[in-house]
Amino acid sequence: MIPRMLRYSALGIALSLVPLSSMAAAPPIQETPTVPVVHSLASFREAVRAGGPGKDGIPSIDRPRFQSAGEATLKDGDKVIGVYHRGQARAYPQRILVWHEIVNDELGGEALSITYCPLTGTALGFKRGETELGVSGKLVNSNLIMYDRATDSEWPQILGVAIDGPLAGQGLEELRVFWTTWGAWKARHPETEVLTDQTGFVRNYRRDPYGSYNPTSGYYAPDSRRLFPVMQRDDRFPPKTEVFGVRGPEGALAITREALREEGVVDVTLGERRYTVIHDPGLDTGWAFHNPEGLEIRPTELDFTAEGVTGPGIDSLEAVNGFEAMWFAWAAFYPDTYLYEGQEAP
Amino acid sequence: MKPLARVILRMLSRPTSAGAAGAVMAAYALLYLWLTGDIAGGGAGGWQATFPAWERVFQARGLFQFEPVGLLTLGALVWTFSPLNTLLAVSMGLLVGLNIVAGWWLWRTPRQCGLSGSSTGLLAAIPALLAGGACCAPIVLIWLGLPIAGVLASLTPFLIPIALLLLVAGLWLSLRRLVGEGSPR
Repeated sequence: MIPRMLRYSALGIALSLVPLSSMAAAPPIQETPTVPVVHSLASFREAVRAGGPGKDGIPSIDRPRFQSAGEATLKDGDKVIGVYHRGQARAYPQRILVWHEIVNDELGGEALSITYCPLTGTALGFKRGETELGVSGKLVNSNLIMYDRATDSEWPQILGVAIDGPLAGQGLEELRVFWTTWGAWKARHPETEVLTDQTGFVRNYRRDPYGSYNPTSGYYAPDSRRLFPVMQRDDRFPPKTEVFGVRGPEGALAITREALREEGVVDVTLGERRYTVIHDPGLDTGWAFHNPEGLEIRPTELDFTAEGVTGPGIDSLEAVNGFEAMWFAWAAFYPDTYLYEGQEAP
Repeated sequence: MKPLARVILRMLSRPTSAGAAGAVMAAYALLYLWLTGDIAGGGAGGWQATFPAWERVFQARGLFQFEPVGLLTLGALVWTFSPLNTLLAVSMGLLVGLNIVAGWWLWRTPRQCGLSGSSTGLLAAIPALLAGGACCAPIVLIWLGLPIAGVLASLTPFLIPIALLLLVAGLWLSLRRLVGEGSPR
């Protein structure tokens, strides 16, 4: 009798520790997210839709394999998601990620999740700690809702903050990834590795079920319609127009790609915070900085290297994450976003 | 049950009926696999067959959708081959084929009460055809640019069981009437 009781109590203790141990493996989090959460968590939860496939029906790549840039069979114009972390560069072809949406990878010894949502055109990197991120099969504002395999909390990718589960209200730590082309990425990082289609899954990697980026067509065409309802509609641009988005504690900022390209350096003040966004002509993207002192940055004095943008004053700025997104999705998550369309039309 | 099975056997023993059911089955299965995305374009020419993921044969991607285990390319066509998806496609195709042949037999059977020809079988094939398309209707709708795809996405899992049920029910009704009325000699 006593041994049996002992066994049951040992089992009971072991079972009660299970949630603790899984919490311990939770991804690194920010208890107070540094990004804005404009809608209430409850209204996000109400706006969640089933995307079609179930949980992990779109399988994340958990054992990615890579090849050298020379071995890759990509065209220069093909879209890739590029990551440069602790001296290591990797490219994840869009045509592979469209089928998996998340790669649980490790770069420079750090565990990262590289994530891509085809329906909102957004690529973001997150630190994942000892756990992995997976595709929940749910969407909010058409955006991928990820879940972490330690606590099963649900994280919309653009928001970066859990809307459901034990970690609701807390934020993931982000990492800059680049939405660019293979030609541009290879030129910046000739030593880059490239994700191969040996993903452990069989998919038709030559075909994108939604359309094409090279050339742009189907779902990705600026004027094409969105598929799922949004929490907030904003028709100032065609839905799929790409904007460069930055978030800070005071709110969100979207810059049209044309304004960023033409002006080279864009200064915007949101609330009390001053931001400087620098256009990178090589990767055709932005580098966003918090610029509390209001330092003036001149495009002509800048240099773009594997490490990023360099030039007078850059070192005293604080880097802020930024990423490209389809306008409809950005406006749905951040309805009060500041919109920068150029100096003539602020 | 036995008489119903005998009618099916009699159907399949006739070359024209069996041929018609087989042709419908093949056409339907191919259409189903194409609409669900298992068969698609993107091939680089030539032919190739690899089976790198047999361990995923029973792994589901969604309801009634399974992970492919092999990649078959023929010319411009690429088939991400899943044995279970193929079995489902062929089974539904066979049911549609039998429904159509049974409907055709009923139509040819002399009426006793002056009723018009039965179209049960043909009618039952419609939901099945719709279900085949429904699995990837969202994708078809993306091509067409229709915004209702999102609404349909949440319905798709139910369409296949409904279609199977309707097909079985339709076939059962047709066969029972064939047994009652005597099928064509």
